[in-house]
Amino acid sequence: MGTKYILSKGELHRQDNSLNFKNSNGNNYIPIEGIDEIYCLDEVSFNTKVIDFLSKNNIILHLFNHYEGYSGTFYPREKYMSGKAVIKQVEAFNEKRELIAKAIVLGIANNIHEVLYHYYRHGKEELKEFLDWLKDEMPKKLENSNDISEILLTEADIWYRFYNSFSVFLREDFVFNKRVKRPPDNPLNALISFGNTILYTKTMGQIYQTHLDQRISFLHSPQERRFSLSLDLSEVFKPVIVFKTIFDCVNNRKLSVEKHFDKNLNYCLLNESGKKIFLEALESKFNETFKHTTLLRNVSYLKAIKYDGYKLLKYILEDFEFNPFSLKEKK
Amino acid sequence: MNNITGTIINYYIHCKRQCYLHYHRINLEDESGLVKIGKALHERHNTEEIEIDNIKLDKIKGEFVTEIKKSDADFNASRFQLLFYLKKLKEKGVIKKGRLTFLEKNKVDKKNHEILLDDSSEKELEDIISEIKILVSNSTPPAIEKNNKCKKCAYYAFCYI
Ligand code: SF4
Repeated sequence: MGTKYILSKGELHRQDNSLNFKNSNGNNYIPIEGIDEIYCLDEVSFNTKVIDFLSKNNIILHLFNHYEGYSGTFYPREKYMSGKAVIKQVEAFNEKRELIAKAIVLGIANNIHEVLYHYYRHGKEELKEFLDWLKDEMPKKLENSNDISEILLTEADIWYRFYNSFSVFLREDFVFNKRVKRPPDNPLNALISFGNTILYTKTMGQIYQTHLDQRISFLHSPQERRFSLSLDLSEVFKPVIVFKTIFDCVNNRKLSVEKHFDKNLNYCLLNESGKKIFLEALESKFNETFKHTTLLRNVSYLKAIKYDGYKLLKYILEDFEFNPFSLKEKK
Repeated sequence: MNNITGTIINYYIHCKRQCYLHYHRINLEDESGLVKIGKALHERHNTEEIEIDNIKLDKIKGEFVTEIKKSDADFNASRFQLLFYLKKLKEKGVIKKGRLTFLEKNKVDKKNHEILLDDSSEKELEDIISEIKILVSNSTPPAIEKNNKCKKCAYYAFCYI
């Protein structure tokens, strides 16, 4: 399991049986053993030789523009294919879409609860009302939702209340009161957008190793994006991976508004050193391991994403109950 | 029986669930590293791997077809896999004996075993093949057989999560 982030402008070449990234500082060899994915976060040029080489080595390539905007992914030829799994996944979409969507929304709520409970225990009593709502009222509301649009409304409500709770425990200069996505207009929005995109692309890499079809999603509409199943499966990990990392970077002063962001009248983005710090923090969260309650093995958060793919696969193949990742799976 | 392979026969005896999943091409990434060892082993020992129809034979030499396995963990599964190859050859008019070689022996008494396709083993094999056909035509996979062998199985995380 390995991820290589390229943060500067340059050229990527194939060199013998490896890769070489040339930038203004010279040659940077990238040994490909143990690399599963490469992120290009600035303008990088390469040719089809590189693409062919990546494909042969089963490496995924994620491309971004200079402004943290996700442009797309080069995906090696599908290595796993099961006609049976695809047919069953479509059936599940037709027959059980709402059930799966509800399970995901409940999963988001559980993980947000778990993350915020930490602050509540440390004296942030203002959070109580939201925590109670997550545990009692919200599940009832979800239970009574009959179609996908009602489920999506409840989901939006959870995130809205979650963002509103930040002022209780987050360092003041980072607090915001509205969520603007494209382009982000303040540092916190910039972190959320960038973090969620990294999580989304990482999830694509994990789903690639399962038999699920990336296009058939349940909570999000399958037309939304080409790989909308990644949007679905990444949701419950947002509080656990993206937000926990952000809270840690902000409250422990690893990131500062002055030093790590470029600001413009209309938008705000991480600068190169900000990106580096944030990506390192995210990466160590993905790699953090815990002992899993049923597997009795050490599992990283990244693997936990793949295992949610397995759970969904088991649900569509043989009707095992689908409960997305919960922090309670930690032993 | 064209889509039945030696691996499927082997898996059927080892674990019916593994057989079903593999038959339907649900091949999950192995995390234990055992498959890699198996592959490396094949690369080292089988310069003469031969492919007939959709079966891969480790080695044919003289009157013997040899199948090499890392360990004797599931002797019977390996035995039927080899019997299946012998039967395939017999259908082509090639009569061979089988030799099963284990690089590591823990359970059985010796490394090399002679395996013969006689009337009774052929009948057993035919029964297994009919059972497999019924198994894979079911709409859902058979239940998890919680067992010690699971720990080394590529489907471990899938079954136990
Ligand atoms: S983990 Fe166990 S039950 Fe599952 S396929 Fe493997 S051997 Fe069979």
